[in-house]
Amino acid sequence: MTATKYSNTLTAATYAGLGLLGALLVGCSKPVFLPNRLAAAAFLQSHDDPSVDEIALSAHELTDELFGTPDVPKWPDSLESLVDFEEVKRSAGQVGRAQDRVERGLYRKHCVQCHGVTGDGAGPAATLLAPYARDFRRGTFKFKSTPIGSKPTRLDLIHTIEHGVAGTSMPAFAPLRNRDEFSKDIEAVTEYVIYLSVRGEVERRLIRTATADQSTPTIEDALKEAAVVVAAWKKAEQNVPELPTIPALDREALVASVARGKELFNSDKTACFKCHGAEGRGDGISQDFDEWTKDWTIRAGIDPSSKSEWKVMKKFGALKPVVNRSRNLHLGAVRGGQTVDNITKRIVLGIDGTPMPAAAISEESPNSLNREELADLVRFVASIANVKQAQDATVALHERGHDEN
Amino acid sequence: MQRLLSMNEATMKTKQENRSVYAWSLALAGLTFPLIWLGGLVTTHDAGMAVPDWPGTYGYNLFLYPLSTWLFGPFDLLVEHGHRLLASVVGLLAIILCFVAWRFESRSWVRRLCWLLLGAVISQGLLGGIRVLLDERVVALIHGVGGPLVFSLACWIVMVNSADWKNAESNLRASGLRWATRGLFLLSICQLVLGAHLRHALPTWRPTLFVSFVHTHLLLALLITLFVILSTIMVFLRPYREHRALRLPAMLLVGVVLVQVALGFGTWISNYALPWPELNAFFANYTIAGRGFWESMIINGHQATGSLLIVFSLWLLCRVERRCIASRFANKSDQNEVIEVFAGSRPNPVLAGPGVS
Repeated sequence: MTATKYSNTLTAATYAGLGLLGALLVGCSKPVFLPNRLAAAAFLQSHDDPSVDEIALSAHELTDELFGTPDVPKWPDSLESLVDFEEVKRSAGQVGRAQDRVERGLYRKHCVQCHGVTGDGAGPAATLLAPYARDFRRGTFKFKSTPIGSKPTRLDLIHTIEHGVAGTSMPAFAPLRNRDEFSKDIEAVTEYVIYLSVRGEVERRLIRTATADQSTPTIEDALKEAAVVVAAWKKAEQNVPELPTIPALDREALVASVARGKELFNSDKTACFKCHGAEGRGDGISQDFDEWTKDWTIRAGIDPSSKSEWKVMKKFGALKPVVNRSRNLHLGAVRGGQTVDNITKRIVLGIDGTPMPAAAISEESPNSLNREELADLVRFVASIANVKQAQDATVALHERGHDEN
Repeated sequence: MQRLLSMNEATMKTKQENRSVYAWSLALAGLTFPLIWLGGLVTTHDAGMAVPDWPGTYGYNLFLYPLSTWLFGPFDLLVEHGHRLLASVVGLLAIILCFVAWRFESRSWVRRLCWLLLGAVISQGLLGGIRVLLDERVVALIHGVGGPLVFSLACWIVMVNSADWKNAESNLRASGLRWATRGLFLLSICQLVLGAHLRHALPTWRPTLFVSFVHTHLLLALLITLFVILSTIMVFLRPYREHRALRLPAMLLVGVVLVQVALGFGTWISNYALPWPELNAFFANYTIAGRGFWESMIINGHQATGSLLIVFSLWLLCRVERRCIASRFANKSDQNEVIEVFAGSRPNPVLAGPGVS
């Protein structure tokens, strides 16, 4: 009989527990785009100005009017077309299939846990990641074939989504290609990422204008800003520069080139050593924060190294500032891609949003790298990064004291 | 002699009825584990809404959905529809178990447990349906917590019908292990709830909330490991070492915890990459395969092994409770004595006369 009571108590406790769980959680699951209060506070350089919320909400309402919601995205009729909107709609909303059997909600299926519903890089898992997930709203992307300040091409974004970023939490979604029904998902998500980025950047620009001239933005202002942002994205393909190719050399010339590259690496002309260290181990004296962090810290008069200063921005969604450490090139994980061409790309184009600058290439100016010097520098970096190309691998062995002879 | 024969019949019936309930509950529990695994795959592949209607599948009756479209269609549909079909079989088994228990089980509280199990299975089915009809991830979270609880309940019915339950001698007076195993079971359930929160994290959660769940999950993992070590050491010490039956669940718990900790690390790596990527070239070059086969298996394995952890801790708890004199589950009936008499392992008190034990 006591056992009966025991089982009854267990039943009651189970259902009470499940009911409580449900009561606690039901109602907090409706995803919405969040206003960019952090940008408003940063542009106002104030964490206690009451107009922070006012400005952020005003810009947020306008962008929602133009671009819709996470469940029902929109694209303004008067705005030039940029994205494949059918794919944007397919990537938006809840995960699943409707009666038409088309899979939807791709962004929430693959990206939202880190990048967040708004694309602000503040998804539930954000603080567990190093580096943090990308905040798309700035319109800045790291690994691309266009110069700093330009938008990436679609292929750049597809490459990152498909191949991931080694050593970080960004997965490679290449396995999706293995099944027919998912084979176009990467392209669809790319369209949605561009949509989120445009939406977020328009909102950010509206906030910047509103804080600069104390005005209240209108829908016309929002459309103008949107046109500027879309135009920048449309120019991406044209912004891809022609990069010099690094010619193959015989072994002796290659070793000499690598030696010259090392000298350049440690010279004031390139100043690579200041961040990457003399041996390229990422232990240089100059380590800095990325642009996403600087936006709301240094540019807002806040020292990112001082917790007492930056923590006032936590209420606006700021994550703890983390130094963007320079790469230890000897680890071989060159995040922009482990080929000689990609290393050339990173040196010539830099890494947008990070302290990695673009090298000036010129045959005339003594302060710039000429093509020969660029080739030397690329070969040196490729040698220590042990890039998997036969010729460079030989150099890598030589550098490490394992000469085949 | 007549009395002896009627006792014999009664005992034989008892044995038969126990076997029936035991067999059906074992089949049910055995099928619930793959169901949990399949349910985990549904979550891992975010396939909960691969079929938009319920209880049917794309307008078809659940059982009449074309086999070719199911098996050779989209992967998420394969997983979700498979989960529903297997759940239906488990539901059918739960009904049969209730019938068998009603027909053969003499203990009313065990019969009630079977009814409770049927109610829990039906509730799980309804929760699964509500999750689809409302398209609510919160309901998926509750459904995810409910699965291992149903599995535990099914296993509990198996345990109370097992030979060990019938034959265990209740002579333990010490209560240390009893409290340790109770604590372990409770911690395992809490860990299940936390794990479900991590698996079904809502996109709207703030990072601080999610991280607090992660940290608590890690803390509980540590506590569970300590409780398992403590319980295992205790079963080899006085006064518990005489009860050798306690050793098997304790040792299995150690094995499960080791596997679970390894899978936990694997899950972390599959979700957030290797820690300290600057440590060496291997760490620096590791790239997570999004929706990769091994990543999915590891994450799913972590969830399924969590269910085993709960069940094994319940197994140890049952065996301990059965042996404690003070427990309400102590073996107080003389039924086991009767069985032993007719199994020939104990002298018959009727034939041997007074004074023989």
